Amino acid sequence: MEKSLFSFIWKYSARQQIYILLVTVLSYPVVYVLLELPKLIVNDAVQGDNFPRSILGFDFDQVPYLLLLCFTFLGLVVVSNGLKFYLNVFKGRLGERMLRRLRFELFQRVLRFRLPHFRKVSSGEIIPMITSEVEDVGGFIGEAFALPAYQGGMLVVQIGFIFMQDPLLGLAAISSYPIQGYVIPYLQKRVVLLSRQRVRNIRVIADKVGESITGVAEIHANDAAAWHSADISERLYENFRIRYEIFNRKFLIKFLNNFMNQLTPFFFYLIGGYLVIEGNLSIGALLAVIAAYKDLAGPWKELLSYYQMTADVSVKYQTVVENFDPPDIHELDRLTSDEKAELSGDLKFDNVSFSGGAAGQEVMEISLTVAAGTACAIAGPDGSGRSEVLQLAAGLVSPSSGKICIGDHDLDKLTDSTLGREIAYVGGAVHVWTGTIRDNLYYGLRHRPLILPERDGEALKQYKRRVSEAKETRNPLYDLEAVWDDLEAAGADSIHTLDEKALELLEAVGLDKDIYRLGLQSRFDPSMDDTFAGKILNVRKNLADRILHEPALEGLVELWHPDRFNASANLADNLFFAVPSDPEITMDQVPEMEEVRAFLTETGLDEKLRKVGLKIAETMLELFSNVSGDSGLLGAYSFITQEEIPEFERIVRIAKSTQQRPGLSDADKSRLRGLAFKLVPARHRLGIMTDELRDEIIAARKRFLDSVVKHNPGFVAFDPDVYLPPLTIEDNLLFGRARVDRRDARRRIDDVIRTIVEETGLRRPIIYAGFGYHVGVSGSRLSAGQRRRIALVRGLLKNAKITILDDIATGTTEDDKALRRGLQEILSGKTFLFGTSNAEIAAEFDQRFVLDQGRISDKG
Amino acid sequence: MTLETEVEALRKVPLFHGIDETKLRLLAFISDRTEYPAGERLCSQGEEGDCAFIILAGDADVLVHTPEGEKKVAQVSENSIVGEIAILCDVPRTATLVAANNMDVLTVSKDDFLKLLKEFPDISLEVMRTLALRLERTTRDLADARRGAAGG
Repeated sequence: MEKSLFSFIWKYSARQQIYILLVTVLSYPVVYVLLELPKLIVNDAVQGDNFPRSILGFDFDQVPYLLLLCFTFLGLVVVSNGLKFYLNVFKGRLGERMLRRLRFELFQRVLRFRLPHFRKVSSGEIIPMITSEVEDVGGFIGEAFALPAYQGGMLVVQIGFIFMQDPLLGLAAISSYPIQGYVIPYLQKRVVLLSRQRVRNIRVIADKVGESITGVAEIHANDAAAWHSADISERLYENFRIRYEIFNRKFLIKFLNNFMNQLTPFFFYLIGGYLVIEGNLSIGALLAVIAAYKDLAGPWKELLSYYQMTADVSVKYQTVVENFDPPDIHELDRLTSDEKAELSGDLKFDNVSFSGGAAGQEVMEISLTVAAGTACAIAGPDGSGRSEVLQLAAGLVSPSSGKICIGDHDLDKLTDSTLGREIAYVGGAVHVWTGTIRDNLYYGLRHRPLILPERDGEALKQYKRRVSEAKETRNPLYDLEAVWDDLEAAGADSIHTLDEKALELLEAVGLDKDIYRLGLQSRFDPSMDDTFAGKILNVRKNLADRILHEPALEGLVELWHPDRFNASANLADNLFFAVPSDPEITMDQVPEMEEVRAFLTETGLDEKLRKVGLKIAETMLELFSNVSGDSGLLGAYSFITQEEIPEFERIVRIAKSTQQRPGLSDADKSRLRGLAFKLVPARHRLGIMTDELRDEIIAARKRFLDSVVKHNPGFVAFDPDVYLPPLTIEDNLLFGRARVDRRDARRRIDDVIRTIVEETGLRRPIIYAGFGYHVGVSGSRLSAGQRRRIALVRGLLKNAKITILDDIATGTTEDDKALRRGLQEILSGKTFLFGTSNAEIAAEFDQRFVLDQGRISDKG
Repeated sequence: MTLETEVEALRKVPLFHGIDETKLRLLAFISDRTEYPAGERLCSQGEEGDCAFIILAGDADVLVHTPEGEKKVAQVSENSIVGEIAILCDVPRTATLVAANNMDVLTVSKDDFLKLLKEFPDISLEVMRTLALRLERTTRDLADARRGAAGG
């Protein structure tokens, strides 16, 4: 990578820089004329005589002459500002493009680092380098050549003018330049050093903050917050100290510059005055020189700040770039090549040594052969070199000496396009990407965009623009919206067969039940697949039938019925009998929606619910006011929490008082209403739910349906014959509530649902719906075991010729044993390396290599 | 069916005899009200018990394992408490309970009851007194039985 900022700028934008320069020079005469015209207008057009003036053969009287000059002036103002605008946009665009190129190059270099290099760098340091630290470079690039050329030119012209008036005065004008030229860079050098320190210090701070976030549980568990606070505080002080020093120097430079600039007139007055007195210089010339000198200050100041900025930005560029240029970085080709070699043949280690840079990470002179299509265990405790051998076999790390071949191919000479497609490697520390389960399962098939989407009209235009910008900045042209899943590699001919294959593998690793549960909890859009929705509705009917006719199930569930009150559901569900179309809106928020509030007030329900809420509040206060907060009784059973008790005491007091003021505020009323909505009559036997109220709610339900739900797309009404997209699949299957007053009703009904789902062949579609489950940041919504299994399926789905597993499925339970047998079966006929620290597990394999302290100690 | 009826039932249970009304209301509120249709099991002999049953309506058969299979040894009915030992200490169920007809039962879980005891120590005292009385009676019965056995 280009070591210096200017070689980077020149290499990638020489043409544009020259263009900027040319346009700048072009604007020169315009600016010059613009400065001259006012003088002409005042001196010649306003104060002049002997009209008319003759221009290009036309004669102009005084007023037309004035008009001509003024309109010329106006025209030039437009032209000069237009040029400036154009130039600024051009420079800005150039800067942004160069910045994009630089950032992408940096990211691509991160991808080209060898794995052991990541032991030395941390993401906390790399991220600010690519994001914030290079930001200033973009703003600078447009000015890099044009500014010094323009301002330098101005300076030279002005100095030339002074020299023409009098060489001696000219010398006086530039007398301070040598001193400034010596002192300022000297001071600046120190600033540059400090800037470097500052950048490094900030990186460490970023890294420490990042580390604190990842290890926050450790901080609390060890009461180490004070230590970390002290650490960061120390770094912040360091930052303050460096910045303070930088300020000092910067302002010192400014001070010196200003001082020198004002020192020069001293010489003018002294020398020029003497020359005028002696009669060697006219007074007019002296005044002109002094005026010219004043004009000199502008460009000089600009150049100085340009100089400071260059120094600053160059340092930033260098301190970033030097981190992205390790000597052993992979060739670019390793990343971008799309050529795939067939890796068939035996896997052979020939005197391979490797050192990971720490004890227990070495491999010494290992030679071994695993015949193509056989399974082999690599056994050895952690630190025996087992993981290193497996990573070497996957081509993830390169040997320091010796050679690893598969067939005729030396792994070290292959690109990612072969290694990443022909070998499936799943190591002990798996990573699950933020996204859906499907994204993660098919991650190993997404090497290149395969089928480009068809675009027309505006979309095509946007796409073309994207592509041309990418070309402009040497970014890749891969289309993110294309189909990336390589079905062929997985041995599937359509996305359906791929789903089936994935399901088979999920079953083999025992993850299908988990995904099924996730599928039940997920929502799906019936417009995507209405046969599925139809089947779910069938199951719903089937289930309702069984519940009605099977004595064992009877009474376990209360189904939603438009004319019946559901005692196992809360008042909100019973009243609204609908759900918001947006699943993000919870039932708690519904009463606060504008149209719902209006409905409640209009029907007078508002008042009734408030009374119900008040009764609940009173009972709760009576029951729980003597209970202490830490007993666990409150919260788990009560409608209100310990913190809310004083609040509700106040509300009840006000509501009970006969005085008009202070009345209940809107917030108080909504709290009481909220309590009422939470009431589940079958669970909370408070005697509030009278038959009368029950009928009233059923009647209100109908009115709500007619007046609000029917013409409001924000709600979907409960309807036994309709699939409700905002509800989960499970809630759609069981269209009701498990009764809270029957023991184990939920579990028993779940069993029934499972059998019906299996009988009707719905299990598969539900699992596929579970593929759309979002796993959270880095799979945080999955358990560690689930993450490992997903990574395992991802590896298996690649259908690679060589599969390498390290520390995966190495349990000693019967399930794990079965899983290993299953793996051997799935991978039969393919090369399979299985890393484990347990010799007993290794014995399940026909072929074994046992590692100890980096050497093969036993084989079998 | 409201809290009031449950409180009435609780009051008739000897174990809760001396506990004042508000606390009984609290106990009723945090307990689960469950219906059992005829034939459904409330609990099975040998399993870990975690709750006591207070029968509000209906009857339950008490069955125990015998070499000839399960055998009915007794019947419990309205206002009786069954399995109350389970909410005080960890013992396996000594018998199986099956609903003889449709039942309405209040289930007091061990966790909740212990929480309540911790919260209101005076309830503990009442329970202790009841248990002590019962112990005294059992001891006397035992002594009578022995005397009877010795004499007979």
